Amino acid sequence: MHINYWKELKKNTFGKIGLAMLILVVIIAGSFPLLARYDPGEPSHSALKPPSSEHWLGTNDVGQDIWSRLVYGARNSLLVALGVGLFTTLLGTVAGASAALVGGLYERIMMRMVDALIAIPAFIVIILVAAYVLPNVWALIFLISILTWQGGARIVRAQTLSLKERMHVYAARAFGAKKLYITTRHIIPELGPILFAVFIHSATRGVFMEAGLAFLGIADISTVSWGLMMHYALKYYYLEVWKWWLLPTGLALSVTIMAFVFIGHAFETAMDPRLRVMERKDWQC
Amino acid sequence: MKTAKIGNYAIAFLIILSLNFLLPRMMPGDPLTAICGEEALVEMTPELRTELMHRFALDEPLWKQFFVYLAGIVHGDFGYSYYYNAPVLEVILEALPWTLLLLGSSLILSTLLSIIMGIESGWRRGRNSDKSLLTATMVMNGFPNFFIGIILLLLFGVYLGFLPLQGAKTPYSGLSGLNLLLDIARHLVLPLTALTLSQIPSSYLLMRNTMITTLKEPFVLTAKAKGLSEASVRYKHAGRNAILPIVTTTGVRVGIIVTGALFIEMIFSYPGVGLLIYNSLFMRDYPILQGAFFIVTVFVIVANFIVDSLYTKIDPRIEIEEVEHAH
Repeated sequence: MHINYWKELKKNTFGKIGLAMLILVVIIAGSFPLLARYDPGEPSHSALKPPSSEHWLGTNDVGQDIWSRLVYGARNSLLVALGVGLFTTLLGTVAGASAALVGGLYERIMMRMVDALIAIPAFIVIILVAAYVLPNVWALIFLISILTWQGGARIVRAQTLSLKERMHVYAARAFGAKKLYITTRHIIPELGPILFAVFIHSATRGVFMEAGLAFLGIADISTVSWGLMMHYALKYYYLEVWKWWLLPTGLALSVTIMAFVFIGHAFETAMDPRLRVMERKDWQC
Repeated sequence: MKTAKIGNYAIAFLIILSLNFLLPRMMPGDPLTAICGEEALVEMTPELRTELMHRFALDEPLWKQFFVYLAGIVHGDFGYSYYYNAPVLEVILEALPWTLLLLGSSLILSTLLSIIMGIESGWRRGRNSDKSLLTATMVMNGFPNFFIGIILLLLFGVYLGFLPLQGAKTPYSGLSGLNLLLDIARHLVLPLTALTLSQIPSSYLLMRNTMITTLKEPFVLTAKAKGLSEASVRYKHAGRNAILPIVTTTGVRVGIIVTGALFIEMIFSYPGVGLLIYNSLFMRDYPILQGAFFIVTVFVIVANFIVDSLYTKIDPRIEIEEVEHAH
């Protein structure tokens, strides 16, 4: 696996477009004090106003500035993407790699748990739990990660098992390398590409699930979330306001998800095709 | 079917069962509200309260409560919805046919479309028609299912007015026979299109990939060398062999499509289980929420189980591979 992934990613058209879109969203999220001229949570007396020089995308039903909320919402989506991506990858790696390295009864119990969890529709379970506990953004990241790590664990285990059998690992062992040394110097670094793929996949799912939950109305109403904005905007779809309220919000969400999907696709095309993560298990589940 | 596999599904079922049991009882506040829903508070009298406490054994230890809960489920008793003023099972069974209609037709349609698209695209790999189909699907893959539904709703609600936007049939129309069927079909078009469009990308990408790998196999070359027609090589030889991953992922796809239906039913007010779940979220009607959740998850687990036990019969190679994989 001596491929320069960064180079491969940049060579792929989907990869380039995906990266560009992600950078755009990150810039918008990062420069929100410059772009957003109003407090996104501040209601005003001018409700449901069309776009003007004061309110670029008009105002919503309680007079909040939609453009400011749109810009601010990028932070929420990116935070969930990063949080779910990191935490899910961590859980999947620890479970999968330890199962492959320890083996025996531990591996069997671990993989049994993974197989059982894979049969459960995770998003439905997340909706039920979230309906009861009404999590804030951190609890939501935890909830999504704790219920969706199983796919990554399976892939990481398979990859670790195959790495264990590679010639250079045998060579290292023949030279007297200890288990810890082999794990940290050979196994973990070579898991890198797989972990990145699992991270991208989990991040995509995180953005989608957070938005989906908020769209169903399961969210802390004080969070500025694209999904929640769409939840309220949908109630007024028969008025003209959808043009500057519902549609831009949905497009912003789609561009963010698309960025991750494109990057993941480009990356996995460069990788060993048999290890495709994203196209085997949909991020919607 | 190995016992290990049956064990997996038994564990999955047990997880669902205990989650459904524990969640309302672990919540801070009055467990009776979490079990009966907020609507029940309106009618709550001290007598009803004691009766309900007794019925759910809430004054007993947790393990006894669990047995009472289990006994209820075994008897098909999922509780009583104070919002609908009807037993939960009755309310759910009324909504279930609509969801099954939407899910079933969308599953069949999206599977067929993605198989055909994947075969054609893989066959023409690198050509313009393949590239544009791939790009279009990748873009669609970035749209969350509920936004696809919203776009259709706006498109037909604002610009094209010839399809019904809400419900599953025209209320109080008195239609019967063929007219009723046509009415139902017309109402199905938009939710079905939205759900199917959101399902196609991942299956199409999977099918296209497998097709590309299969086309490199020696038997395809043999088929071509024998002078078989192009269509025969494409569909009978390569296509049929490339279908397997689509079949084996059917269980997973049922899980995705059920979640998708929840959003689509909400957007188009389609009176299935998804809309029921959405309304129960809104009304804090916990008995319905729990009952619908239980039935939907068990449905998905059973679907997974059936697919899992069927596909080794379709292709015996899988069983051998899995045995090898385990070691």
